Amino acid sequence: MIEKIMIKNYRAYQDFTLEFNDGMNIIVGDNDIGKSTLLEAVNLALTSKLNGRPFAFELSPYLFNSIATEEYLAKLIAGEKPTPPEIVIDLFFKENGETGLLKGSNNLTGNDAVGVRIKASMSSDYTVEYENFISEPAKIKLVPAEYYSVEWLGFSGNGITMKSLPSSPSFIDASAIKLQSGADYHLQSIIKEHLDPKERVELSRTYRNTREEFADHDSVKAINVKLGGSQGDVSDRSLSLAIDISQRYTWESSLVAHLDGMPFQYVGNGEQNTLKILLALNRRAEDSNVILIEEPENHLSFSTLNMLVAKIAKKCIDKQVLISTHSSYVLNKLGMDSLILLTRTTGIRIGQVPNETQDYFMKLSGYDTLRLVLAKKVILVEGPSDELIVQRAYMDAHAGRLPIDDGVDVINVRGLSFKRFLDIAKLLKKPSRVVTDNDGKPDGAVEATYSEYTTEPMIEIHVGKDPLYKTLEPQILHSSNRETLNRILGTTHATDELLVEHMKNKNNKTTVALRIFESAETITMPEYIVDAIA
Amino acid sequence: MPSHNNLAIIAAAGSRKTEYVIDKALGMPDKNVLITTYTNENQRQIIERIQAKSNGTVPAHITVLGWFTFLVNECARPYQNAFTLKPGYMKSLNFIGERYRLTSKNSLSYFFDKNRDIYRNGVSDFACDVNQITGGKVIARLEQIWDHIFIDEVQDLVGFDLDLLDRLFDSTIGITLVGDPRQYMVPTNTASKYKKYKKEGLLDWFEERKAKVTIEPRVQSHRCNQTICDFADALFPNMPSTESLNTEVTGHDGIFIIPRADVAAYVATYKPTILRENKNTDTEGLAAINIGVSKGSTYDRVLIFPASTVIQYYKNRDLENFKSRERLYVAATRARFSATFVE
Repeated sequence: MIEKIMIKNYRAYQDFTLEFNDGMNIIVGDNDIGKSTLLEAVNLALTSKLNGRPFAFELSPYLFNSIATEEYLAKLIAGEKPTPPEIVIDLFFKENGETGLLKGSNNLTGNDAVGVRIKASMSSDYTVEYENFISEPAKIKLVPAEYYSVEWLGFSGNGITMKSLPSSPSFIDASAIKLQSGADYHLQSIIKEHLDPKERVELSRTYRNTREEFADHDSVKAINVKLGGSQGDVSDRSLSLAIDISQRYTWESSLVAHLDGMPFQYVGNGEQNTLKILLALNRRAEDSNVILIEEPENHLSFSTLNMLVAKIAKKCIDKQVLISTHSSYVLNKLGMDSLILLTRTTGIRIGQVPNETQDYFMKLSGYDTLRLVLAKKVILVEGPSDELIVQRAYMDAHAGRLPIDDGVDVINVRGLSFKRFLDIAKLLKKPSRVVTDNDGKPDGAVEATYSEYTTEPMIEIHVGKDPLYKTLEPQILHSSNRETLNRILGTTHATDELLVEHMKNKNNKTTVALRIFESAETITMPEYIVDAIA
Repeated sequence: MPSHNNLAIIAAAGSRKTEYVIDKALGMPDKNVLITTYTNENQRQIIERIQAKSNGTVPAHITVLGWFTFLVNECARPYQNAFTLKPGYMKSLNFIGERYRLTSKNSLSYFFDKNRDIYRNGVSDFACDVNQITGGKVIARLEQIWDHIFIDEVQDLVGFDLDLLDRLFDSTIGITLVGDPRQYMVPTNTASKYKKYKKEGLLDWFEERKAKVTIEPRVQSHRCNQTICDFADALFPNMPSTESLNTEVTGHDGIFIIPRADVAAYVATYKPTILRENKNTDTEGLAAINIGVSKGSTYDRVLIFPASTVIQYYKNRDLENFKSRERLYVAATRARFSATFVE
């Protein structure tokens, strides 16, 4: 089990620390915040490989954090001699009896812990070249990664051996399906992990035999006789054909998986993803492994996603899963509890979500909980009309900008679920405003029902004060006037009562709100709405 | 049953002490076992002999490490920052160099050279210091990794190595040491610390720790015949005498001396293994093994081209003025039947 990750100068992360849950970890965050990078970093530290190749080969200046690079370059220009930035990824493991070899204090905290690290730093072998390199600082635009060396170490400070490494990851990157020389290396590795060592040996032995038999086949022999016959034309040695049976050409590079008789790479992307994820989930339990799943929702139809998410939830009970997603559905289904909202320096964990709220979102998994999670600020409203009016009020008050332009998300929530959303908002400390009707209750009565939330300063409840005006429409009429509204709505209602009836009629309700939203004329909005968008 | 789990076997040449270590280690498959010894040669032999007894591989529960690999990687490095204050400061081992004599112990340069390699004389000292500063983390980590540690050729351990042994004795790890002070030839370091416990002095060191380590002498030699045993024993009158279990008679048994002129004929007749003092020794053109390297090996017959002091000792048996008793002991006790010196 991975307890914690610390990252220095790798891609988006200049200085990042995150603690993981034992089981499920659902990683969400804005685009570009580094969700993929986080999974990649975990995989990198566990395997020392990036994109399936040794990190040392893949190391490029672009893997270095841009701020760290800029700071380094600025110091060079200023005539200082800064240490070139290092990339460090430290993974801290939960301690058990078998992790002693990885124990020590050679990590970013300097404290005793069990773990592995991958580190790219300036190699002392290139001191002379490096000094030449920095002699003209103005020409330097990037970190000189070619003078770097990569070390893959336990916290003991010693190199990693397969004996010392407690967990092996399955990295399922569903967004990028990489096809390399016929078979997908990714699929290969999953298949390989799926087999036990004996089966693996059996497979490579059979494969080798088959190749050797090729040379013994009569037609191949005849060909080789013919080739041998032309001896002397180009060389005195005899020429013949055989298949390379050396280590380099093992079954992984030439066997292709078939799905229902079709080569794997010709199967739809969605199907490929599903299969990969399922294969990874079915890995033998004794390889107490870590499963990394990147955006499972990609390329998948809703029903397949549903099936897959159910499988993930079921199969991963005793495994540690890191899953990045853009899908509220995935989040709701796998449990809001496991959510980790990424920032540039850490992840905000949601903590203990009340059980009924958890259940609620699992059952009604269509709710866009991720919007709540990702917005800077949310305004929760109880219907499409309210949403339109709040948006318009916001634009009126903020120079025509839509709320979403300012990171404020107006979310339409069915009345009863306000509290479910607020449970989450409270845990996330998310500035939230609820705009709701007083339904004829006296001033303060509705607010009182939210008292368990309003203890948090960032949660506010906005309700029309006067119980005479029970819902949105009478409130609007009250704050504006019949004449203006008749003009905007293109109606000619002679009394307030008739106009309110028209506005409240469920056939007109949304159209009325839309007219107000689109109108060139600005109305005076109800006070509680103006407060909510302030 | 003693309250500790530590054993020191002081064994004569040919008493199969390495064999004992290997069999014991193979016999505890449910334990994690470390076998460590100082010289590469001995380490290689141990691995080979384990492989020979175990399907050609070293079983997963056994780790064989050289003494310095063990010291640097498993004792000094993991918690180095307790002293260096910088994780990952230590690079590797500086086997050749020594620190400037007047360096204060508080400075990094007391233990490290400018490449951040640790001086060999200081590794054990450093490990013990770090263990002390961290409240015993070095030993606690070893306890987590290994249930039993075997140290072969323990007589090579000197100076601060002994302090580390003390910590190991006090740990939950079972410690088995085997060795023979009479075969002291290549100490792990040249520190002047605990000079009195070098060579035979090691026995005193064990004696002082009787409460935490059981001392077990082995006086039977499976290799050498009684004449060779007696000759070798005479070099160390304070050590228990050796009983030979090799009673085979070949017609040319015991200790001999021949003039250089007879070497060719002698070699033709007896086909001995040739041992020499060092690479500068004139061996009449015969391919020879350095005495130092021969340690741990068994041959039927040896023909020794020794240092001149050995010939003097052979003639006058004056121990007082003879300085290289250990080398002579090793050279003579390689042989099962005959050890012959070239004058």
